[in-house]
Amino acid sequence: MSWHIPDDLRGRYLAGTLETAAALSVDAHLASCARCRAAVPYEQDWLEGSWARLETALIRPRPSPAARLLRYAGLPDHVARLVSATPTMSRAWVVAVVAALAFAVLAARQEADLLPAFLTLAPVLPLTGIALGYGPHVDPAHELTAATPLAGPRLLLTRAVAVLAVATALAAIASPLLPAPPGLSAAWLLPALAAASGCLALSTRLPVPIAALAVGGLWLAIVGAGRLTGGWLAAFGPVAQIGYGAAALLLMFRLYRMSFR
Amino acid sequence: MIHIKDLSKSYGRRRALDGLDLTLGIGVTGLLGPNGAGKTTLLRCLATTLAPSGGSIDAYGLNPANPVQRTVLRRRLGYLPQDPGFYPHFTAFDLVDYVAILKEMTDRERRHIEVRRVLAEVGLTEQARVRTGRLSGGMRQRLALAQALLGEPDLLILDEPTVGLDPEQRMSFRALVSRLGESRTVVLSTHQTEDVAALCERVVVMRAGRAVFDGTPGELAGVATGQVWLSDEAPTASRVFWRTADGRYRTLGQRPPTGDATAPGVEDGYLVLLGEEVAA
Repeated sequence: MSWHIPDDLRGRYLAGTLETAAALSVDAHLASCARCRAAVPYEQDWLEGSWARLETALIRPRPSPAARLLRYAGLPDHVARLVSATPTMSRAWVVAVVAALAFAVLAARQEADLLPAFLTLAPVLPLTGIALGYGPHVDPAHELTAATPLAGPRLLLTRAVAVLAVATALAAIASPLLPAPPGLSAAWLLPALAAASGCLALSTRLPVPIAALAVGGLWLAIVGAGRLTGGWLAAFGPVAQIGYGAAALLLMFRLYRMSFR
Repeated sequence: MIHIKDLSKSYGRRRALDGLDLTLGIGVTGLLGPNGAGKTTLLRCLATTLAPSGGSIDAYGLNPANPVQRTVLRRRLGYLPQDPGFYPHFTAFDLVDYVAILKEMTDRERRHIEVRRVLAEVGLTEQARVRTGRLSGGMRQRLALAQALLGEPDLLILDEPTVGLDPEQRMSFRALVSRLGESRTVVLSTHQTEDVAALCERVVVMRAGRAVFDGTPGELAGVATGQVWLSDEAPTASRVFWRTADGRYRTLGQRPPTGDATAPGVEDGYLVLLGEEVAA
């Protein structure tokens, strides 16, 4: 290349005082002339920062629709990714949503005999979600992620809260449709909380599905014992509710101490 | 430092680890051993994904049996499992980003910078947006290595990291691991004695859940001193020999009638050592 940008022209180009046509001409020349490019000073930090911003814009995960929805709802980005990212988590969501919707539909048909079954099974919904969403048998990347700080009780707790929140919202919609007083229709919430906390606490010592089965079995035993001693509502009375609430508080405190230090 | 004392692990009646004692410091330590020797079980115990049946691990003063200390230890380790599974619909970036979240990197911009850094370390920048289901075996192995490098862990646990890598990728891997080993503890298991010879300053040979050798690669090669021969004719007395590329026979054990002594390598030492173990 025989022609190179003269110093005064380069000076006006860098100062931004060139006319548009002349500036475009200089741009075109710089694109093809390494010697003139080398004469144009630039800030290293600014250039690296620009590339980093460009990479950030171009190479980044595209959040799933569920993750975007959760972010719009106010959840931090990383939490939204945690509770919606994996196929196993999606299955847990689907189970919770389908089961709660099924209750709602059946309840809307005013089946009077449905209330005992609803109250008995509703607390087990979150357990099902937890059991289906975690472990080497259902999660192909379990071993890859098992050695991370969030693996185990913390991840389970985060996901259980997500499943519980969905199940709670949908089952709460179903509750007023049931042929029972509102207080009684919501009597499953504290047992659900205690059962989920119990499952999470047990999961530090047992595989999650076994922990869920154990807690689910214990819950059914409590309901059965209540029915034998004082009728099927005995397991949902005020004294029992206080017990469930206290158990849930204690178990969550223990989980917090174990996992969140 | 990491102190392993009297570590044992049983699967039913089978003892995968049988009273293992080991101390690990800064540098690259290679675990060699036949299938079923207990290498993966040891690495899984170290990575806190498997609880031992007995004995203890003390890593940087932390006891992985304690749930709180286990979480603290997990903040300081990176783990590449033997069979890393992937979510096939995740891109390479998605997967490493997901693991980064599990490693408590909550700031999105910083996390993405770190994800790009580790992908670049393993040469996967151009595959960042490719779904893991479409990556080749070697690329998936490098992806699994990338997630282990997140956060620059003090303890890097690599279970057969060179499986599926081509020679050029193995050279890059060796350069990366040897650089990491200058300032942190790297433990890797492998069947590749040449990897051990090339990048490990220490080698532990395991058999039946115990360490039967602990020393430098040179010392392991030295186990076969005076037992490696080259001859023009196939030996009749030895069971361990093979024909080399130049047409001569390399024999381990007794000297063949026309054999010339030759310098042993790590593989020779390993084979002689395991042969002695079997004989014993």
